[in-house]
Amino acid sequence: MKFNNIVYDSHIIENKSSINSRDNLKESKVVVLQPVGYPFSCNLIDTPKIEVFDKQLFEIYAREQWEGFNAVEGSFLFDQKILPDYAFKVIKAHPDNSKITSTTSIILIDNQEINEIKNMETDIKMEDVIGQKQAKLKCKIIQKYLQDPEHFKGWAPRNVLFYGTPGTGKTMLAKSLSGELNVPLYLIKATSLIGDHVGDGSRQIHDLFDLASKTSPSVIFIDEIDAIALDRKFQSLRGDVSEVVNALLTEMDGIKENQGVVTIGATNNPSLLDYAIRSRFEEEIEFKLPDEDERREMIENYIESMPLKVKVSIIKLAQSSKGMSGRDIKEKLLKTALHKAISEDKSTVDREDIEYALKNYQTEKNEPKHMFA
Amino acid sequence: MQPLQSAGYDRAITVFSPDGRLFQVEYAREAVKRGTTSLGVKSAEGVVLVVDKRPTSKLVEPKSIEKIFQIDEHIGTATSGLVADARAIIEKARIEAQVNRITFNEPIRVESLAKKICDMKQMYTQHGGVRPFGSALIIGGVNSKGCHLFETDPSGALIEYKATAIGAGRPIAMEEFEKKYKEGMNLEEAIELALDAVYEATEGKTTPESVEIAVIDSKDKKYRKLSEDEIKDHVEELLLRKEKEEDEEE
Repeated sequence: MKFNNIVYDSHIIENKSSINSRDNLKESKVVVLQPVGYPFSCNLIDTPKIEVFDKQLFEIYAREQWEGFNAVEGSFLFDQKILPDYAFKVIKAHPDNSKITSTTSIILIDNQEINEIKNMETDIKMEDVIGQKQAKLKCKIIQKYLQDPEHFKGWAPRNVLFYGTPGTGKTMLAKSLSGELNVPLYLIKATSLIGDHVGDGSRQIHDLFDLASKTSPSVIFIDEIDAIALDRKFQSLRGDVSEVVNALLTEMDGIKENQGVVTIGATNNPSLLDYAIRSRFEEEIEFKLPDEDERREMIENYIESMPLKVKVSIIKLAQSSKGMSGRDIKEKLLKTALHKAISEDKSTVDREDIEYALKNYQTEKNEPKHMFA
Repeated sequence: MQPLQSAGYDRAITVFSPDGRLFQVEYAREAVKRGTTSLGVKSAEGVVLVVDKRPTSKLVEPKSIEKIFQIDEHIGTATSGLVADARAIIEKARIEAQVNRITFNEPIRVESLAKKICDMKQMYTQHGGVRPFGSALIIGGVNSKGCHLFETDPSGALIEYKATAIGAGRPIAMEEFEKKYKEGMNLEEAIELALDAVYEATEGKTTPESVEIAVIDSKDKKYRKLSEDEIKDHVEELLLRKEKEEDEEE
């Protein structure tokens, strides 16, 4: 533990260094911190658990001690007052590498919430998502909007719904969007917005939108949105349905204008959604099963990365995979065939393996064949 | 989550959901979508019915898959959905046609027959203990007032069309009809259009064995199923035409 006077010194030194570079640094709008702990542990001191009961109070406390500091994503800030040398990691700074001022909003988040806030580290590009032209078009519009939010005024894209059968690339497209955008994208699993207790759900939704509007322009992607936007007639099944839905309704288009926040919801069951929530989506984009050309393109892409060579014509594969989604092709056709080939110590994936995978897939579906004509 | 959707309002066909839907009847319409595509086109010279049969195995005799039925000498129908249900409907329709002949000494009007079929289908949506028919019908025929083409669905709804399709490929086939349907086509053009739609609906997997064609000519007012050779000619012509179109596009 440092002595107080030394702490004070280092404070001044750091302040100076930031003064030097003041001219070329932007003022940060928002900084998100995560409590990390002391740089090392020893048996004399327990690592304290930090809890903030008043966000505003913490903000004042934090601004006062770190004003003039640089906020760089991934770097650390040390507490100077209550717990000297207690480290906070800068999870998010908007803009990155900016100066903390007296107007910066500083948010402390729990360790569990980090996964939600962190940008998805992904190398998926938008071109990797095959087909789904309409959805890609919408993503382009969203990209354009986020580059120049002023230009759109009241005509900005705000709420979009992706729906379609599982495995058609809804989540994949959202991941690719996070790679292409240089604004914060909050990838949220809707199930994580439901808390342990009644009341947690709505609070977490409000917190999420608060954070997003503070860091605007930004995108919120809520996966499996049917978990929180369930039709209110299911109130009898889960006690907090109507509370959570109302929270979402007010956030998506309510009293508070969430300027520059685009919400994308994804579900494979749009008919479960609450009517009022559906009406808030300006566009509902269906993700369809791939047609033959799209399947061929997918198979070509997948085969490239497979550890064994595939000795079956791609056209044949595309034809025989009719009715499969992108995920089915990868997981149920190619992966099964590949694993079969590996288990038999073959050096290539041949026709036999593919047929084995296809047969497995078909028995899985097991539709009555001759009842319908 | 799926079963939640109807929140219990699909247990009986006689129970409306709060927003006025009859889920069992809607499910019956889903059964129709499981069938392969059937379509009908009305022209100035008669009505054309075309079905896609697509045998599931090469061991199946394609002839045994029945999707086009003759009801009376001037009326034919194409079905899609549950095969067994369709046959039950056809049986009743044939009797109705004969009852009309015996009672009034004249062939039944196409519209009357279609309405009789729909009355029956409707009965199976309003009583407990029964289940709606899982098949849709396209009824085509010629009578003194000209050509008619009706479509009925499991709810018993009846609509007359100039060209229509039922079954799995309906959306695609209807799109094709919207684009290419013209008033006053002759019979050949109508067959051509219907085959185009089948071709699109089956993603180009059309062979002479997979389709069946029936026509009701407005001149002799007689239902006639095209022979295998005739179908082969039509389909080969279609495939040539499509090949050419593709070449032109490139």
